Amino acid sequence: MAAALDTVRVLDMTTGQALVAGNMLGKLGADVLAIEPPGGSMTRRGNGTPQGWALWSAFSAGKRGITCNLASEQGRGLISKLARHAHIVITGGDLTGTTAPGIDWKALLHDNPRLIHVSITPFGESGPKANYAATDLIIWAAGGPLFPSRDGELPPLRISSDQAMLHAGIDAAVGALVALAAREVTGRGQHVAVSAQASAAQATLSVILAAAVGHENYSMIRPDPKPKPGAKKPLDLSGSGSRTRRSKWPVKDGMVEMHMAMGPSAGRFTNNLFAWLRGIDACDPRFGEWDWTRQVPAAIEAGELSDDEIEAARADVAAALARFTKAELIEVSMRHKLLIAPIMTIADLAHGEQFAARRVFDDVEEAGVMRRVPGALTGRAASQGLRPAPLVGEHNAEIYAEIGIGEEALSALRAEGVI
Amino acid sequence: MSEVRPLAGLKVVDLAWVVAGPMIGRVLADCGAEVVRVESSQRVETARMMGPFPGGKIDLQRSALFENCNAGKLGLTLDMSLPEAHEVVLDLATWGDVLIESFAPGQMRKWGLGYDVLSARNPRLIMLSTSLMGQNGPLSSLAGYGNIGAALSGFQSLVGYPWREMIGPFGPYTDYVGPRYATAALLAAVAEQRRSGRGAWLDIAQVEAGIQLLGPEFAAFFATGEVAEAKGNRVPDMAPHGVFPAAGEDRWVAIAVRSDAEWARLAAMIGGTADDPRFAALTGRKQDEDALEALVGTWTATQDAQAVEDRLQAEAIPAHVVANAQDIADDPQLSHLGHIVRLPHDLGGESVIEASRFRLSDTPAEPRRAAPTFGRDNDYVLGTLLSYSDERIAVLRSGNVLK
Repeated sequence: MAAALDTVRVLDMTTGQALVAGNMLGKLGADVLAIEPPGGSMTRRGNGTPQGWALWSAFSAGKRGITCNLASEQGRGLISKLARHAHIVITGGDLTGTTAPGIDWKALLHDNPRLIHVSITPFGESGPKANYAATDLIIWAAGGPLFPSRDGELPPLRISSDQAMLHAGIDAAVGALVALAAREVTGRGQHVAVSAQASAAQATLSVILAAAVGHENYSMIRPDPKPKPGAKKPLDLSGSGSRTRRSKWPVKDGMVEMHMAMGPSAGRFTNNLFAWLRGIDACDPRFGEWDWTRQVPAAIEAGELSDDEIEAARADVAAALARFTKAELIEVSMRHKLLIAPIMTIADLAHGEQFAARRVFDDVEEAGVMRRVPGALTGRAASQGLRPAPLVGEHNAEIYAEIGIGEEALSALRAEGVI
Repeated sequence: MSEVRPLAGLKVVDLAWVVAGPMIGRVLADCGAEVVRVESSQRVETARMMGPFPGGKIDLQRSALFENCNAGKLGLTLDMSLPEAHEVVLDLATWGDVLIESFAPGQMRKWGLGYDVLSARNPRLIMLSTSLMGQNGPLSSLAGYGNIGAALSGFQSLVGYPWREMIGPFGPYTDYVGPRYATAALLAAVAEQRRSGRGAWLDIAQVEAGIQLLGPEFAAFFATGEVAEAKGNRVPDMAPHGVFPAAGEDRWVAIAVRSDAEWARLAAMIGGTADDPRFAALTGRKQDEDALEALVGTWTATQDAQAVEDRLQAEAIPAHVVANAQDIADDPQLSHLGHIVRLPHDLGGESVIEASRFRLSDTPAEPRRAAPTFGRDNDYVLGTLLSYSDERIAVLRSGNVLK
């Protein structure tokens, strides 16, 4: 499938986590050229966790690679020639505070009015914070997902894996494809701007809109500190739960994730849970009678069901779950339609049967070294297998030949440090 | 700027619910596609019951989460427990270019609405199925929301302190990631459909989308056996790097010092013992990070969070208030981008949602109408789009199918 992107040429000038945008387009079939400075992208040498090379391996897979020194006049000339035949140029991703050599976008668009330029920045290309010093943590703080990520009274907690520019990058890929669709109608390219701050806001379950819609003291992490006298007790009717500590349960060999949901849709899963517990004689019979779809939320709101009683039910659940292993509980979860999942580490997941069955990871060979990275998400049957992340300048000869640069000229450019 | 909407003419049937599925159709609607969102007013979907709500009052017709996920769509109510409803979906699938569904794998087939049936009726149909684990494999029947997705993609193990049990990310993390991957795959399939007339069945597993964003961690594990773990707010190549208390209730400021030079500027601001030479280089700061963080935290604790952000940013040191909902509402940058959008609500007042996260200079993607109230567009969808007669619509209505 997605053969329509086979003829789409992308010039990918991004660094760091923003590499994911071109990675996504490459996995959908586009011809993506990673453009690096002659010494190789700074991303290869660090710029992010866990290791630069792993970031490069994972997010440059599916691309070909060329080098070009954008600080030189000649280098910029080469890019403008390549851009004449390209569909999409993607830039951005640097969080080190260094200024990248300038590209004259207006000139590129003048030469190729059908060109789509996608720009990924931490805050936006203009506006009061456009020049803010930023890192992953700073964008996560500014976009909203950091604040509600809480462990009791401790400070807000980040994910121990840089995510903010990834969110921006995957939005950029979607934006590029929309611009491509628009180009079919208008015949013109355009500028697509993505702010990582705005992209990160997606990871908040719309909690960030609370003040804007006038929901005072809205909190999904703890009860309202100042409830109005006589007010109904607030209910968490979400499916996933958001007081994260309360959805973690110790079991025989680790932890499982399970939110005891209530309400007309998600409450049935908690009914299933107690039906299972009743069946194995693992809960007080009075809890087995509760209906979590309607009766429980109504009783809580009316003050007829006390916190102590809920806690007593939770204690029975905790005691029962502690008797099982993660593997046993995943079986139980499927058989009885419960919402229990083991908390998996990267190591647990790497060798999981589900991912093996669906070929989630691809093996690629980078200059004799085998790497295993996430493969394409769809269209696997038709997929030819993933192209490994390119070595520095691996495809210089074949790509530069397209714009009339033969071997001799190539050596000259190499000698001058242009490529 | 042009009047063209990038996906004008694209017809979409949206059977998805909660967040991961509906966010896909939201993007398509922003781009001008005609998206028919199907839901039940009897078995109310979870997003409508979640806040935030205007005035804090639970109101199924005014959930900001639901409205954010469904702005710009047409609304059709159908009781899917009735076979007559399945007939309507079949007609919609014949009308549409794209059908999106996020039921448990196999549910569409049980209703007689599997891809084989739909594509026999409409060979150019693209059906996008988004589920937790995917349509096949030993765990495909595992149900769940995005918190389960976060557990099964590794994210739950990556948030927490090394000295406590992990806590996991906020909310259903894979719900934030899956729809972007799904939308990109869908747009590629639409491009192919427009070129060749070919349909497709796209199987998106939200857990696998989560795996994509941990690609480097997996690549590193496979190569070296090193397992990524939760490290609080610390990172190997920066210090201080964390979240520090500020004056006032529940106020925090994030600070990330990328270099020794940035630390020297910050230390000069802090004064006192901050210029201790053992902190001058990263290795020294990492060595006694507890003391370093205490030093910074004591300095920030008496100051306004915004003032700390302003002072550090003036010195080009990365810092930002840890934004709560009020900070987001007041944020000058988001306001410059027009990120919070207000549309008239059908029941009066406003629908408050987020703007498109990609900004197109020539053919903007923008929501033009508030999310549907229950069954808002039943007559238009059935009468105009599907050309049902008034009699047929009346029969459906009296048979309680349109609920």
